[in-house]
Amino acid sequence: MSYTIALVGNPNSGKTTLFNALTGSNQHVGNWPGVTVERKEGQVQRGNQLYTIVDLPGTYSLGALSEDEVVAREFILTGHPDVVINVVDATNVERNLYLTTQLLEMGAKVVVALNMVDEAEDRQISVDEKALAQRLGAPVVPTVASRRKGLDQLMQAAADVIERPLNGVVRLSYGESIDAKLAELQEFLVKGDLTYPPGWLGVKLLEGDTYVRKIVRENASLQSSEEFGRLWDEIAAQEDDWQLEIVDRRYQFVSAITKDVVQRPGTAVQTATDQLDRVLTHRYLGLPIFAAIMFVVFQLTFAVGQDLLGDLMATGMGAFGSILERVLVNAGAPDWLIGFAGSGIIGGVGAVLEFIPLIVILYLLMGLLEDSGYMARAAYVMDNIMRAVGLQGKTFVSMIVGFGCNVPGVMATRTLESRKDRMIAVLINPFMSCGAKIPIYLVFIAAFFPSYGGLVLFSVYVLGILIAFLMGKVFSKTLFKGETSHFIMELPPYRLPTVGNVLRNMWDNVSGFLARAGTTIFAVVSLLWVLAVLPGGVEPYGPESILGRIGLVIAPIFGPAGFGNWQAAVGLFSGIAAKEAVVATLGMVYAGVEGGAELVGVIREVFTPLSAASFMVMTLLYTPCAATLGTIRKETGSAKWALFSALYTFAIAWVMAVLIFQIGRLFGLS
Amino acid sequence: MLKELLVEIDQADYVSKERLAVTLGQSVSRIEDGLAELVRLGYLSQDNGLNCADLPCGKCPYVSMCHRDPLKTWEITDKGQRVLAR
Ligand SMILES: Nc1nc2c(ncn2[C@@H]2O[C@H](COP(=O)(O)OP(=O)(O)O)[C@@H](O)[C@H]2O)c(=O)[nH]1
Repeated sequence: MSYTIALVGNPNSGKTTLFNALTGSNQHVGNWPGVTVERKEGQVQRGNQLYTIVDLPGTYSLGALSEDEVVAREFILTGHPDVVINVVDATNVERNLYLTTQLLEMGAKVVVALNMVDEAEDRQISVDEKALAQRLGAPVVPTVASRRKGLDQLMQAAADVIERPLNGVVRLSYGESIDAKLAELQEFLVKGDLTYPPGWLGVKLLEGDTYVRKIVRENASLQSSEEFGRLWDEIAAQEDDWQLEIVDRRYQFVSAITKDVVQRPGTAVQTATDQLDRVLTHRYLGLPIFAAIMFVVFQLTFAVGQDLLGDLMATGMGAFGSILERVLVNAGAPDWLIGFAGSGIIGGVGAVLEFIPLIVILYLLMGLLEDSGYMARAAYVMDNIMRAVGLQGKTFVSMIVGFGCNVPGVMATRTLESRKDRMIAVLINPFMSCGAKIPIYLVFIAAFFPSYGGLVLFSVYVLGILIAFLMGKVFSKTLFKGETSHFIMELPPYRLPTVGNVLRNMWDNVSGFLARAGTTIFAVVSLLWVLAVLPGGVEPYGPESILGRIGLVIAPIFGPAGFGNWQAAVGLFSGIAAKEAVVATLGMVYAGVEGGAELVGVIREVFTPLSAASFMVMTLLYTPCAATLGTIRKETGSAKWALFSALYTFAIAWVMAVLIFQIGRLFGLS
Repeated sequence: MLKELLVEIDQADYVSKERLAVTLGQSVSRIEDGLAELVRLGYLSQDNGLNCADLPCGKCPYVSMCHRDPLKTWEITDKGQRVLAR
């Protein structure tokens, strides 16, 4: 006759390794009846005794939540294995014993294979197996399945248990009231003539196990009893409480054992994170600290990017421009190509590329904040404020993403469940100043506010956030009413950013920027260049060109905002294709006119500090780029909302720009 | 421990596994197990946030603003609220 041994354990406890080590090539693979779960069986001969080992699916628990769990527990309860070998990972005894506890509850005859003791030793985790055996009332055998260590002792222990019934089966107590209820239940369940152990059924019933409830509900003899009916109703009413209590008791049982039998190297208590968080997420200090950090980031960006590296790119682009022109002239290239290279590529695309150092530094610093885990704190701090103005806190997560690019920013709103929260988050996301707008601010800062770069950039971002909050509030009071749900944010531990990570980010940043300049921006500039030199016969880059005429139609709208010239108008217009195109377009149209004039210099002549400020605010707030609008259409499922977004942002931007210009003039600014 | 964990989360301003571990005198991995169990049993729900790797950002230069570690949020479900109310 052959004995049956069931093998159970958590995933990754080394169960498969143990099964293979025990059975060698004596294996048979099939399926459990009715389900797609694989059934593996193998044979072991010891002396003249044959053992059949059944490898049950790896699970953390034996509830009814997955097919794997049900298969495993059904076999243990109704397959009548002579013994159950429970593989326990010695490096994580606490987690693994949760399953062991459930085996004990089932009344199974258990032998524990304390596996991976080699690994535990390496990690200085020591497990007192004798004490563990005593607490569990089951033999515990240390094994190293991967090196076939302890297998013989394990089989011996299993054989012993089969021969001699265990004495003193461990029983869990679930607290007085539940224990009493269980005793009461058991009296009925014993009479129900069910195939399962009544004690286990009782616990599972109180725990609200759907599978067991079905079995009991379908048991005619139980359901015919009026008394049982009353008990049944009582259970249904209290199930949630009991479930938590029972699971909790299991945890306590495991914790108590682990505390006594497992010794780990003293895990440093993470108080540093905690103390840091007390300050960084402080109710009143959190926001000023966040603001201060961002301010320092912008200041540093200018200090390093402009003062140290600023001239580098400008000189480089200038040199590259003259070389390119000489090469083209020498090669006898047609005039239009030389013109296109000079004003389109160098003047247009080059104007954007000049700001690469600043942008790279800015994103490097932002990336550092992100990698260190601080951004989660920032989101948390903002979350509090958003809640105070009645917005769903998680919205800020999508807003932070929007600082990079509004396309993923809008997509990030997917994590908001309610339509109200989501629509608001989508509509205010474009106010988060995206990375592509940075060159615009940088040109105007270089022209008018070179000593206050950090402050100006900081103010622009803050203004964007304020407008977003304001509009969010307005929308939640008008278009989308309803309740906001309450979420609790998780703050991950702080980490030290690695040099490799930082360098990789920088490289991604630079290469990505070049790729974008070479594709999207190049395409937009080429198209606009054609419009700027046609029709033939008119002065290129002049008001008579197609581009000029388009600009002249739009320009009057911006008169009250102080920048009613056609170049600024087409610049803004082209920004709807891609925001970098604003600078590229300005660079191209001015370079063409002045014969390679430096953009910053021209801007200084055409704009005033006041109109520069109103232009910057306009670009911050106005209509999002086509890609973002497309995403809004897709995410909201309606072109109507994309159109709404395009128009209302434009209206707000225009009003703000006009306000700034007109109020500034009242105060005598120009 | 689970009920204590639920109560702690209910009262906390934010979820920090480290902090919960210290408060409840447990290891962090234990807290993680407990949270997973509470989710499994339907007392808590977890939103794993948006993983930027799933977005079509490709080689976009601004991708470093995206969360490499998605921000996670937790919510106590109605079932959890019922238990807390008692
Ligand atoms: N160090 C060590 N590694 C082991 C031991 N037993 C198994 N492993 C390794 O642990 C990993 C998971 O084992 P596996 O048998 O697939 O786990 P299962 O998911 O429980 O079936 C594999 O890489 C094994 O080689 C052991 O006793 N010591």
